[in-house]
Amino acid sequence: MNVAVPLLQVDAIEVAYHRVMTAVQGVSLQVGAGQLVALMGTNGAGKTTVLRAISGFLGLDDARVTAGSIRFMGESIENLAPHRVTALGIALVPERDKVFDNLTVAENLEAAATPRRADRAALLEMVHAQFPRLAQLAKREAGYLSGGERQMLAIGSALMCAPKLLLVDELSQGLAPLIVQELIHKLLALRDQLGLTILLVEQNARVALDAADHGYVIENGRIVLDGDAAKLGEHQDIREFYLGQGGAERKNYRDVKQYKRSRRWYG
Amino acid sequence: MQLVVNIAVLASIYALISCGYVLIYRVSRVLSLAHGELMMLGAYGLVTTASLFAAQPGVAVAAAGLLAAATGALVYWVLMRRMTGEAVLAAVLATIALGILLRGAMVLIWSAQVQHPARMLGFDNPVVALPGGARLSTISLLLVGMNALVYLALWWFLTRTRYGIAMRAAGQNPRLAAQRGINLHAVYALAWGIAVFTGGLTGILIACDAGLDATMATIGLKAFPAALVGGLDSLVGALCGAVIVATAEVLLIHYVDPLLSDVVPFLVLTAMLIVRPWGLFGSREELDRV
Repeated sequence: MNVAVPLLQVDAIEVAYHRVMTAVQGVSLQVGAGQLVALMGTNGAGKTTVLRAISGFLGLDDARVTAGSIRFMGESIENLAPHRVTALGIALVPERDKVFDNLTVAENLEAAATPRRADRAALLEMVHAQFPRLAQLAKREAGYLSGGERQMLAIGSALMCAPKLLLVDELSQGLAPLIVQELIHKLLALRDQLGLTILLVEQNARVALDAADHGYVIENGRIVLDGDAAKLGEHQDIREFYLGQGGAERKNYRDVKQYKRSRRWYG
Repeated sequence: MQLVVNIAVLASIYALISCGYVLIYRVSRVLSLAHGELMMLGAYGLVTTASLFAAQPGVAVAAAGLLAAATGALVYWVLMRRMTGEAVLAAVLATIALGILLRGAMVLIWSAQVQHPARMLGFDNPVVALPGGARLSTISLLLVGMNALVYLALWWFLTRTRYGIAMRAAGQNPRLAAQRGINLHAVYALAWGIAVFTGGLTGILIACDAGLDATMATIGLKAFPAALVGGLDSLVGALCGAVIVATAEVLLIHYVDPLLSDVVPFLVLTAMLIVRPWGLFGSREELDRV
């Protein structure tokens, strides 16, 4: 990585639910300022757990980071309450339940707490400028929005928290490819215009790799691959298992058992 | 006409009390069964401040109100905050324990004798004659006005102010609210503070009207059906529930038997639970199965 001190540094963290169930183990990753980093993996691989560990657990989650450290701008933030993490400048766009359904669009944006250093009116103006659709829909209840509009509102409300680092969980889920393209471009534009840093969790490796500078692949709660997004896209395993490009010739089923080859285990 | 006035006064009492139940339930999904006792504590707070500021009734009432709000926040901060992450039932049981504790403590501190804070403040509560021949006490009139004021203020707070919107957000989805930077503990403490403040205010007014002794907690319990009939998570529902329960109670007392007074709210409640367990305006899916 070409940045001396990364904005976010996750170091060999382990997360346990209900004190006993280990969800991720020895996960390390770095996000440099101004980067868009993708965290990829299949269902249940531990992507969301990593994001939640960064953004903070609530008492009702009954989860803890039991080992390792998470540092944001040099400050230790593991096991900090979510609202404290948000106040430091990390905002999460969750996978499900990303907006308050019974609140209007305007109220959703209003509900977000802005740190004292930031100017709410300017932030709201910026959000409306980035997502003009939200200004039109201001009085609509968020529960009646379309999938794309919900995602816009979720990103917009996250921006109201004046983040330096935006965590996005499953941007593409349940959305039409065209809308995903639009949102990805929006994220890249936000990064460039606002100097935002983005950590994107994605199941869809094609979407993630196209946009990202750097990528991590997580499997069974461990990081198994990482590298430059362009190089990762070339990687044989990624092409085969995540992008569905097995190569030109059809494979013999006898080779399939070699799925586990060349995995590096970190931590 | 007198009946209508009686219904309005009783409905105001129930509505004022049940908005506390609703507020706490809506924000934290916890049913505060200590609300009657906390209301009583608010009234006893006035007994104390009345002896301190006997010459300035306004100061005494304001101080008692502030004391009640602080008590609510304190109850959350000391007791209920530890209940996060526990089963909702554990939190509800904690409020029951708190209620029993408070009831006992209040008798120990202020004795079981009937107290008259209004008399201590030198307020003699004259009867007001309304056009149409109905009569009611000044405090009763004040109760109706206070009810309107409290509900308007709550409506304004919850829909027009940032903290109110944050409170609704936290009630809907605490996790997302925390991720949006909302301090849940502060929001919950605020909800408890407002709930006990409105409850305490009601307690103060009732105590000024009818005197104060350990039976006041029963009024708090009787307001609970009003909150449930309307649906526990709806303020409009609480208002309607209060009117329904008060109407049934006043009419049955008048036409059947005054002894029914303590039973009627629970009869209405039972009927409601059979027909429509989630209440008039409550959200249906919120109910846990038994």
